[in-house]
Order: sequence, then structure tokens, then C-alpha cells
Amino acid sequence: MSNITVLFSRLFKIFTVTILVASTVVYSGSVMSAGDSLVIYSGRSDKFVKPVVAAFTKASGIKVVIHTGSSTSLLNKLKLEKARTDADIFISNDAGNLQRGNTAGLFAPVTNKIAAAIKPQFRGKENNWLGLSARARVLVVNTKAKDTDFIQSVFDLADPRLEGKIAITHSSNESYIAGVTVYMLSAGKERTRAWLKGLKQNSKGRVYNKHRKIVKAVARGKKVVGLVNHYYIYRYLNKNPNAPIRILMPDQESEDGKPMGIAWNVAGAAITKHSKHKDLAMKFMAYVSSAEGQKIFAEVNREYPTRDDVPAASMLPPVGSFKVAPVSMYKLGEERNATIDLIESVGMP
Amino acid sequence: MSLAVHYKNFTESSFAQRITLRSGLAPAVVVLAAIPLIFVIYSSGQLSTGGWLSLWTQRLPELLWNTLTLSVLVAIGCFILGVSAAYWISRRDFVGRKLSIWLMVLPLTIPTYVFAYIYTSLLEDEGWLGQLWHFIFGAQSVVPELYNVLGVTFVLSLAGFSYVFLLVRGALSVSQREFEEVARLHGLNSFQVFWRVSLPLMRPAIAAGLALVVLHTLSDFGAVSMLRYQTFTLSIYMQMNGRDSYEAAAGLSLVLVFLSLTFLILERFFRNRQRYYGSGKTRHIQPKKATRLETIAIWFWLGLISIFSFILPLAWMLSWSWQALVDGLITSVFWGYVGNSLFISIAAATLTVIIGLPVALYHARKRSVLSQFYLHVSSVGFVLPGPVIALGILAFVLAVVPVIYGGFIVLLLAMTIRFLPLAIQAEESAAQQLTPSIEQAGRSLGATAWQNLRRVTLPIIRGGMMSAWVLVFIDTLKELPATFLLRPTGFDTLPVRIWIEASEEMLELAAPSALFLVIGTLPILWFLMREQTDKNR
Repeated sequence: MSNITVLFSRLFKIFTVTILVASTVVYSGSVMSAGDSLVIYSGRSDKFVKPVVAAFTKASGIKVVIHTGSSTSLLNKLKLEKARTDADIFISNDAGNLQRGNTAGLFAPVTNKIAAAIKPQFRGKENNWLGLSARARVLVVNTKAKDTDFIQSVFDLADPRLEGKIAITHSSNESYIAGVTVYMLSAGKERTRAWLKGLKQNSKGRVYNKHRKIVKAVARGKKVVGLVNHYYIYRYLNKNPNAPIRILMPDQESEDGKPMGIAWNVAGAAITKHSKHKDLAMKFMAYVSSAEGQKIFAEVNREYPTRDDVPAASMLPPVGSFKVAPVSMYKLGEERNATIDLIESVGMP
Repeated sequence: MSLAVHYKNFTESSFAQRITLRSGLAPAVVVLAAIPLIFVIYSSGQLSTGGWLSLWTQRLPELLWNTLTLSVLVAIGCFILGVSAAYWISRRDFVGRKLSIWLMVLPLTIPTYVFAYIYTSLLEDEGWLGQLWHFIFGAQSVVPELYNVLGVTFVLSLAGFSYVFLLVRGALSVSQREFEEVARLHGLNSFQVFWRVSLPLMRPAIAAGLALVVLHTLSDFGAVSMLRYQTFTLSIYMQMNGRDSYEAAAGLSLVLVFLSLTFLILERFFRNRQRYYGSGKTRHIQPKKATRLETIAIWFWLGLISIFSFILPLAWMLSWSWQALVDGLITSVFWGYVGNSLFISIAAATLTVIIGLPVALYHARKRSVLSQFYLHVSSVGFVLPGPVIALGILAFVLAVVPVIYGGFIVLLLAMTIRFLPLAIQAEESAAQQLTPSIEQAGRSLGATAWQNLRRVTLPIIRGGMMSAWVLVFIDTLKELPATFLLRPTGFDTLPVRIWIEASEEMLELAAPSALFLVIGTLPILWFLMREQTDKNR
């Protein structure tokens, strides 16, 4: 008998605690996601998004809830949710996902006035998304390594002389996939396939899960050359000014006089079609594409602003001083599945 | 006459109860548990022949090889660590024995992705182990990396050997001493006794422990994705996140389900063939007092294990959490994540234990092919990777009950389905003590079905329900992939934050969350250990 009493008093306690905790959290949760705040699905690192969001809240008084994840999985989530989504804004670290969302009809356009601030090549065709910060896919080279003079192109990474000496990231990295798309469209499928096979050989199956670690491996002399986004190099140099590394803008010269140019990509944002706060969302887009918002991107992450009137950080090679591969940003979305097929057919890790 | 009527009423009401409670409730739970599996089968049915062909030729051989090698290596690692520790601790009495038991169980509080993350950061050139390595082997030496099969084995063995330890120790503390004494009398030395008598006696427990470890390995997402080791689970996740269709991911999941089920059935088959029976008079083994030399040897080995499996990670968490505290990073926002985590874990544990009960009772009473089938189907949560379970539930909710979408209830459902097998297993083994005569006695004394359940059945399986609650609580607290996909907007739990901060290399933000997972699990673990010692006494 006493056993039962004990059991039930325990069950009762658990029950009470559950109810208590439930009601508190549900309560606090309902306060947190109260109807009037702006919800952002963010596929970028919190540390790049938070500063600009904080500045926006300070300037406008609009509260923001950030729901962080990977760009692709958040896009898939949007697609599944359709009209049930909470999201007002989708932020992606890559143009490919923005274009795919556009094709799937997930976004609503921004006004022409807001869009006009951004250079045309950095936004979606119907102003359905805006590129907010651009990055270049470049090489980082160890300055102490010998015999690196022949490296002029990303395609040189497949050269047998670099066996075991290259550092690359894994094949589900969005920047990496976008880069391969550009090479595939510029140099053709077969040449890119051969290149990927060479990369697989030269990396010996060891890929890095972080671009930061690629730069570090090159700086420490573990590897000779790495393929990264430009800002990782400057971030490392900022902390280690004497590191023996340099940036190499690839594919600027070639024997036939028609070099491919570097692969370019943008991170950006879009208003979701089913947003319940379109006016707030529009204010957010206006802010992040304003000179004030753009300056934060340029400063926090040393990316290239997508407005003409905001200069890039002073240590970067200025826009126009290097050749960019003429691949439109929306192509990164259209050709994404073809690129993944190509990468998988080679079996890259 | 009146007695006959009474008897008739009794059998009829019992028949009715059978319909509603046993035949009705159990299948309902099983159907719920099968939702993700149905999704996988449906979606992989959409995959074209060409799609299957390219999966089969391009992905499968490598994935199979990687996954199987990893499982075998992790099983070996956990066997060495878990069995050696359990054998010594239950056969020798030495200074600090109680402490050592705790040290062997504490790694359970650290999720695999935290292990992976901590060790990659410790092994960097400026990490503690990296510096130590350079100090010993010179500045030019290359610190070993974890991004290979051995590295993943290292991490998963440290994170999983405690399961083997717990089960084997449980078996050793009740196994009969006579066998070992007889072997001794016949002139075997202590190694021969271990190898030829004790080890075979431990076999069922070892098999159960290793099965648990292998299932965890097959469905592990955190460690393999941090260390970029291509197993089925990681490849499935990459398929899901790379493309806009889930068919290839579903196809791979289906193969993984077959793999795991084959393994489970094999394991059950071998375990059923190994039953040992002792005489009724079993004496618990009193551990022999250890000599001084033995004590040193035992502590050297156990100390080595716990330095790597708990002390070093804990020190890392403490040091970075201290940094966070000094920098003023532990704000009300952090306590919000703690609240979210505790809330979902308590709710999921409670719900899962209740939902698991009908299936466990059904099997304990019937032991039929059908009940066995129910048991297998409801273990889907253990066999499918977390991201796939989440996706299956997402698809189901959006198609069938879209009203609840985005709410907390969806996340709760996912956790329940994912950890249902844990609860059912614990409850079912407790329900085996229920002999039908006890329940029949209750009914014949005039108790209603509900009274019988409340006053006879539940008190008997109380211990099993408590362990079930604890196991589900711990695993929900650590759960990452399903929570990531299904959490309501802005509802971040500690694992989600660890993942986000870790992917941004914010050590001082990831550490307090990881530390809190350890602290939050401690009282619960203490409870579990107390139950175990009570049982063994």
C-alpha cells in the first residue's frame, strides 16, 4: 500500500513539475516569438548576422528572432512549410540557394527603389532577392614553399606535383559547390571532372571541415596551397600578421590570353512570399542594402559590399583590379544539382 | 449461481479489456512509431531505377565499407575499455572503488559531437594535447589528426564504452561464483579462469552492450559530421541538405534500416542460444581485497581511461566556461536555452514512458510472433538516423495534421518516436517479472482493470519505468539532428547552441552549454546508479 502511495506521489510530482515547466516555457516562448517581431531564417554564421541585426533593431525599434541553420536545409524547410512558415526573411550564405528559392516561388520582390541600390549582377532577376556581400574564391599559398611558381589557376591544384600538398574543403560546402559550378560552366564538364579527379588524388581523401583550418594548415606549412574564400586569409593575417601566406588571385592570365577569371559568389537575403510582416521585412531589406548596413558587412567580415558607393576594406584587392568569371549569380542555383552530380560521380568526400 | 455470474462477468470484462488495452493500444503506438519508416519506404519508392543504380554503384560500396569498419572498430574499442573496467571493479575491492564506478559512467553525460569537438580543439597545434605532443616529440613533429577512421573510433569508443561497462558489471555482480571456484579447484590460473569461465558467462551482457554501441554508431550523426567521416548517416544528411529532393536520402536510409535490422536479428539469435542457468542458491560475489600492486595497476588503467573519457573534456569545459563567465557571456539568453532543454527533456521522457507501456506489457504477456513484431517495428527510432526521423515526421505532420505544425508538439513527437525503443526495452525487461498469476489474483479479488494496473502492475514495474524515464531524459537532453530540424522558431536547446557555436569556432560559447549538459544529467545519473546498486544488494 505504502509503495503505491510513494509511486503516486512521485508520479504526481513529475506531472506537476512537467506542467509547471511546460506552462512557464510555453508562456515565455509565446512572449519571445510574439506576433510583432521579424523572424529571420539565417543560413549564415550568427557572428556575421547578429551585428547588422542589432544595428537594425537599434535604428528601427523592430524586434528580430533569428533562427539559425544551414542555408540549404532552411530553404528546404521553407519549401515544405509553404504558407505555414514563420519566416519573414531568408538569409543565405550563397547565391545558389537564393536562386533556387526564387525558382520555387518562395520569395516576394523588394521595391525597385531598394533594389536599385544594389548592382544588377548581384540581385535576382525580378528583384526577388538581393546580394548583400560578395566574396572571391581564391588560393592561399605558403610563401616559404618551393616550386609554387607554376600555380596560376585553380586547375593547377590537380597537378601531380602537388600530390599531398593541397588543402580543400568538403563537397557539401556551399562555397565549394558554387565554385565548381563556375569552373564547370567556364571550362566545360569534362575538364572539370578530370580536375576533380586530380583533386581527389592530391588531397588523398583528407578534406577540411572549416576554411579557417585550410588557411591555418597552409600557414603552418602542413600544406602548400589551399582553396578558400578571400576573407579567411585576411582574418588569419589579422590575428597572425607575420604568417608566411599570401593571397593568389587565380586564373588572371593564361596562354591563350583568355583567362577564366575568379569565381564570385554573394551572400544575400530575400523576403518570403508568405511573410506576415511584409512591411517590417521591407524595412529590413532597405536597411541591409543601405550604405549604413553595407558598411557593417564590409567591416565585420571584410567582404565586398554590393553597393558602388561603399568601399571594400582597404587591404583587399579593389574591385576591377582582377578579372571575374562572367557567370551570372542565378546560374549558381540553376546548375547546382548538375554540379553535385558531377562531384558525386567522382566520389569526392 | 451468483459465483458463476461473477465469474462470467469477470471473463467478459477481461476480454473487453484485452480488446481495448492490449490489442488496441499497442498497435496504435506501433503505428505511431512506424511513421518515419513509412516515409522512408514511400520516398525511396519514388526513386527511379537510374537513381538506385547510381546509388548502388557510386555511393554504396564505399559507405558500406566505411560504416562496417567503423562499427567493428568501435565495438572492439568499447569491448576492451568496458569489459576490463567492469571485470576489475566487480572482482577486486580497492581504494576508491565507488569513485571508479562513477568515473566509468560519467562519459555518458557527454554527447559524441562534444567529444569530437573537444578533441579536435585539444589536438590543434596550440591545444593542450598539441602542445604536449610538440613538447615530447619536438616542434617539427606532426600532431595526429582525428579526421580518419581511427579518430572517429577513438571518439565513439570513449563516448560509448560506458554502456558495455554498465551491462557487464550488472551481469558480473549476479553471476554465480561456483563456476569460478570449480575452475580454480581444477587448477586453472586466474587468466584461464577469466578467459574460459568468466568471459563466456559475461557473453550475453557483452553482446547486449556491444549491440547498443553498434546501433549508436550506425545512427551517430554528431561525431561523424564533425570529423567528416563518410558513414551512411552523414551521407544521408548530405543528400538531404545538398539537393531539393529527398529520394536519394530515403534510398540510403532504407539500406541502413536493412543493415541495422539484420544486425539486430543476428544479435538476438546469438543471444538466445546462450542461456546459462545456475542453481537456485546464488551467492553474490564478494570482491577480493586487492593487493597493493593490483591497486596500482587497476588505478593506472582506470585512471587512463577516465582521463581521456571524462577528466580532460571536463577540464576543457570548465576552463572555457570560466572564460565565458569572466567575459560576461553567460546571460539570461543562456538560461533560456537551459530552460528549453530541460523542458523538452522532461516532457519527452514522461510522454515516452507512458506511450511505451502498452507495447512493453503486451509483449511481456503474450510473447507471440505478433508482439515480437511490434517490438521490432517500434525500435525504428533506434535504427533510423535522427535527421531522417525528423524529416519523416515533418512530412507526416504537414500532410496529415498541418494544424500542429511549428508547434512544440511536433518536436515532442519526434523525441518520443526516436527514444521509444529505450523506454520499451527497459519497461519490457521489468515486466518480465510479472507472472500472469499475480495479475489474475488481483482480478479474481475483484479489482477493476484500472485498479489492477494501478495497484498491481505498475508498482511491480516501477523500477523499469524509472530507468526508462532516465534513459529517455538523458538522450533527449543530448539530441541534436531532429531538434535542429523540428524546433519551433527561435526555440534553441543546448545541443543546438553547441552546434552553432562550434561551427563558428566560438569555444567560450560552446563550453558552458556542454558543461551544463553534464551538470544537468548528473542528478539523474545518480538516481539510475542508486537503483542499480539497490537491485544488486
